[in-house]
Amino acid sequence: MALSKKQMITLFTNLVRADRFDKMFYARMLQGKLIGFYHPGEGAIAPGVAAASFLNDDDNLSPHHRAHGMAHNLSKGIDLKYYLAEHTGKETGCCKGRSAFHFSFPEKKVYMMSGFIGYNFAPVVGWGFAAKRRGQKQVVMNCSGDGSYGQGRAHESMLFAKTMNLPIIYWCENNGMAIHSSIEDMHPTKDISSLAKGFDMPAIIVDGQDVFACAEVALKAIKRARDGKGPTFVECKTLRFKEHDMGTKDLKGYRARKAEELDPMREREPVLLATKRVLKDGILTQTQIDAIGAKADEEVAAAEKFADESEIATPTVEELMAAVYAPNA
Amino acid sequence: MRELTFIEAIREAYIQEMKLDESVFLVGQDIRGSIFPHTEGLVQQFGEDRIVDTPLAESGMYGLAFGAAQEGLRPVVDFMFGGFTYVTFSEVSITTGQYHFLHGSQQALPLVITAAVGTGMRLANDHAMSVHSTFCHHPGIKVVMPSTPYDAKGLMAAAIRDNNPVVIPWHLGLMMERGHVPEEDYIIPLGTAEVKREGTDITVLANSVQLKNALEVAAKLEGEISVEVIDPRSFEPFDMDTLLKSLEKTNRLVIVDEDWENCGFAGTVSARVVEQGFDLLDAPIIRVTTPNMPIPGGYMENYVAPNPERIEAAIREVCA
Ligand SMILES: Cc1ncc(C[n+]2csc(CCOP(=O)(O)OP(=O)(O)O)c2C)c(N)n1
Ligand SMILES: [Mg+2]
Repeated sequence: MALSKKQMITLFTNLVRADRFDKMFYARMLQGKLIGFYHPGEGAIAPGVAAASFLNDDDNLSPHHRAHGMAHNLSKGIDLKYYLAEHTGKETGCCKGRSAFHFSFPEKKVYMMSGFIGYNFAPVVGWGFAAKRRGQKQVVMNCSGDGSYGQGRAHESMLFAKTMNLPIIYWCENNGMAIHSSIEDMHPTKDISSLAKGFDMPAIIVDGQDVFACAEVALKAIKRARDGKGPTFVECKTLRFKEHDMGTKDLKGYRARKAEELDPMREREPVLLATKRVLKDGILTQTQIDAIGAKADEEVAAAEKFADESEIATPTVEELMAAVYAPNA
Repeated sequence: MRELTFIEAIREAYIQEMKLDESVFLVGQDIRGSIFPHTEGLVQQFGEDRIVDTPLAESGMYGLAFGAAQEGLRPVVDFMFGGFTYVTFSEVSITTGQYHFLHGSQQALPLVITAAVGTGMRLANDHAMSVHSTFCHHPGIKVVMPSTPYDAKGLMAAAIRDNNPVVIPWHLGLMMERGHVPEEDYIIPLGTAEVKREGTDITVLANSVQLKNALEVAAKLEGEISVEVIDPRSFEPFDMDTLLKSLEKTNRLVIVDEDWENCGFAGTVSARVVEQGFDLLDAPIIRVTTPNMPIPGGYMENYVAPNPERIEAAIREVCA
């Protein structure tokens, strides 16, 4: 499926926005202006943009945890200022400042985040089940890392999706690592998507640095799911430029990752690759690209202003206790 | 007065709620063929879309229910045996309990977790364990347990209608108990205890099958010790008012609970009574619970779980 010019501009724009948000979070963490931890997205933001840019509002999305799902969420049309406010403990945060790094945008069908890697594999079954039951052709985009596929629930989830013919896309963002561990030490085959074979589920491997290639595959998998043809496994081979989690050591196993390994990665930086491509194909001019960057910077600045000007959430314990349960009408 | 068995009463609640609300459905393993009789004949009546059998995989099964609840459906998920909830425990405890609260009270999570629990079948620990105290430990989850057919129908209906996750284990020892169950629909509000027998000398708080044992002991002691018996029915939220009111009269308390003693429901209630009603007490509280050992199977089960002899001994000790 060739992408239209409009689609390519959307992808490029979202990629630039995701990159700027990631860098802003990174910078704020260093400045002590972010609560909790941050898992930098540099090198790995293209798959999220591709997965989410062409979903409908009523399609379900479970973002990958890297870059705290920002590439996915902004591509789904979510205003990230509410997430930054959450991540700074403000009362205007998407979860009322209660959740540190979690998020929830139910109106966009992004329900949740959990600190448990691989948690997503369980609820996506229910979303797929509900979508199939309604029969309105919604799909479920289920994004997570290579490491998350070690979880038993990943296998259960695929078992359910295939057995029940659910419209779920298993979108694996494979950066070859989980914290310090390499995928070779954690998975018996070269490709995570080999798992799909056991469930007779179609699998596609794609260059995760190329946002356009990822999007072509995403559109294909989304169409399959919408057409009632069931789940697809997509493996995006991507990279991680920085340490797993800001402030931790950047190791491979127990040895430091070397410059010889990291430097060549930079040549495959997704914004760099996408910029070359849109210029080469005549999709955008340098002036237009600069304008997209400037607009993204404005958006980021506005989000920071919003979060910084919001009040710290300080409800009373009584107020919090009253929020533990949902009210009954 | 119409009588049903306990398990038929649960089944009637399912039928009633599924007729009232299209979004209610059941999911579990082998429920279409009704491994326990509460789902007998339901697939014929409601179809495969609403009586859903899943692969043998608890995380996937529970995920189906959890995600469906986020999508506006109202699932009842049957784990067969309570111990099997542990197979997917991060989901049923932490992810479930925190969902509404942590995500800013944006969305309710209306789902019901049910399963058989309890000693009596001599099946040993993994099949005989209670689970209610463990669930109570996790904020955001309501936990109730019926002791009569009437309560079984009313609590199950209330659980299904509640906008929160509700765990409702049922005790195998009660499955075939018969009792009055009205045909019309009714609910028992979650968080309401009931005085099942009035008395003046001592209060016994006992749930599920242990309520039966406590009532048996109370009847036996009539004329000697006047025993008031209260069924909490709901562990979380717990109806502290009914208990304190009873203690104003009796000033003595025995708590019977088949769950383990350590960090259990009985211990929590004891602590609350000491905090909120210490001046009401004329004697120390005694708990009659399952001692902290893996529940043995076979005949040993008879004297490990609370039983009428242990309950009577505790009452006599507190009243001495
Ligand atoms: C259940 C659970 N186990 C372990 C962790 C710690 N942890 C956080 S991120 C992570 C690595 C995840 O790897 P992957 O899924 O490949 O995503 P990546 O971080 O590489 O983008 C681990 C092990 C966790 N958060 N939850
Ligand atoms: Mg990884």
